[in-house]
Amino acid sequence: MLEYRNVSLSSGGVRILYDINVAFKTGKLTTIIGPNGCGKTTLIQALNGQSRLCGGEIILDNEDFSSLKPKQRARKVSFLPQVHMTIPAISTHTLVSHGRFPYLGFARKMGEEDKRIIREAMKTADILEYEKEGVDTLSGGVRQRAFIAMQLAQSCEYIVADEPTTYLDVKSRKQVLDIYSKLRNEGRTVVLVLHDIAKALEISDELIIMKNRKILFSGTPAEAIKAGIVEEVFETEVKTFTEDNRIYYVTD
Amino acid sequence: MNGQKGIKNKKIILIFALVVILGLSFILAMAFGSVSISPIEVIKALFSGGEGSTEATIIRSIRLPRILAGILGGVGLSTAGVILQGVMNNALASPNTIGVGSGAGFFVMLAMVLFPRNVSVQPLFAFIGALIATLAIFALAYFADTSRITIILAGITVSSFLTAGINLLKTLDTDIAVNINSFLVGSLSGVSFSDIRIPAVGIGAAFVFAVIMARPLNMLELGDEVAGSLGMRVGLTRFLLLVISSVLAGCVVSYAGLLSFAGLIVPHICRKLFGSDARILIPCSALLGGSFVLLCDLIGRVAASPYELPTGIIMSFIGGPFFMYLIIRKKGGRRLNA
Repeated sequence: MLEYRNVSLSSGGVRILYDINVAFKTGKLTTIIGPNGCGKTTLIQALNGQSRLCGGEIILDNEDFSSLKPKQRARKVSFLPQVHMTIPAISTHTLVSHGRFPYLGFARKMGEEDKRIIREAMKTADILEYEKEGVDTLSGGVRQRAFIAMQLAQSCEYIVADEPTTYLDVKSRKQVLDIYSKLRNEGRTVVLVLHDIAKALEISDELIIMKNRKILFSGTPAEAIKAGIVEEVFETEVKTFTEDNRIYYVTD
Repeated sequence: MNGQKGIKNKKIILIFALVVILGLSFILAMAFGSVSISPIEVIKALFSGGEGSTEATIIRSIRLPRILAGILGGVGLSTAGVILQGVMNNALASPNTIGVGSGAGFFVMLAMVLFPRNVSVQPLFAFIGALIATLAIFALAYFADTSRITIILAGITVSSFLTAGINLLKTLDTDIAVNINSFLVGSLSGVSFSDIRIPAVGIGAAFVFAVIMARPLNMLELGDEVAGSLGMRVGLTRFLLLVISSVLAGCVVSYAGLLSFAGLIVPHICRKLFGSDARILIPCSALLGGSFVLLCDLIGRVAASPYELPTGIIMSFIGGPFFMYLIIRKKGGRRLNA
């Protein structure tokens, strides 16, 4: 379990979130949604060291998370930030291998185990065929899966991604979300920030809704719909329908 | 870098080619000069021990140190360039454009003014100058923010400040003004073994560290947040890499003066040939940089024989048009945004 207790966070020297209490359940896929500027990114950036803890504590499996060194942290929680600004001209394999950084010693030499994990990660993200290609030559969807493979190579129990589907087409978006669902099915704890409310409702076990730097709701998607909170926060209508035992959501 | 199969083989061939080019440059530089010496004589002189024909003396005590100085200079500047371009994620970064060169230059001139007879303090002064310039850039950037743009702006500021200092020293001390010109454009003329002994150790050590730091350098190019998420201490890593590049650039400046373009264009050419993986880029830039400086120096020695043109002038004459070509072909800086 990953738990925030009375947490205050600052980003770029400005305190953004006050006194937040929230928990991410082990083995579940939790999605954080909320309007732009609600503090979603700052909330999860406590997990990759980008936002600074200035009050409260974050507990990860009964351990004080904030006292971990960066490399220790990156062995527990793998974090994929939003939109990658610069796309380097390195091979996909090299990119994925960066995921092993938290485990490398000073000489930064990879062992057999590292190589096996890198292959496994590329297989899970279905990018083995692009292994030798330059990251700069990949399409947006494949590139994103390459970054996900890098995050998987960290072999963490906790997997966090900040808007992993931004700028992707429908098919690539589905592929990306399928990977995260699969990881959850394998028993890992997944935390996503998403913009697509309908998708968030569809794929999540747990939903966290934020607005104006506060957490308004935490519970299952069904509960959120029932309480009418999604419609209230996003000022949109949500329609639900079921087909083949699957629930679909449509927002307007 | 396109993703054809067998790309690894292609890389190995290119690296091999670079080694061959360096070897050939070495032989050419040995053979040609104000006196031409046949390659066989060159090899004889190199391996014959101490006995002294005139050719052997020229080879061993004039050409050899100068050639080693050229190779070391190319290795140092090019590696520093790769590091700086990566750390700042800026295609325009190089020891000269961000002030590390002028920092070293200013301090070497200071050493010339303060200790005109003691040449051996120059490498130390050069390193201190390069490091001070780096730290000043870092401090400036720290108080604003450590974004890449800020670092480049800070570098330009520090650079122009130090260049003003260099010109001031030149104006005030007319004694050094006489032999300062070759220092300002960069020259390998008259370099002896004792000039390069300390810089060689510095460049060698820094190069080893640069190779070790290649993966973190690659990761920095993914952006600070991605690198930080992977457990890297981004600020510390960037700082260590800057220190390494200061050592490299400082050591070269200490004996060769303000040699310019090698640090800018050699990494560029290698990026085009090999992609931006620093683990390949660093050794390749070092090899190509060594050949480049060596050949420029050779051209300087033979082009206007019996006069000598400073290496830096040849380098700029070749490097300038090439860089213009890179700018016109916009693809040159495609992966690194200025």
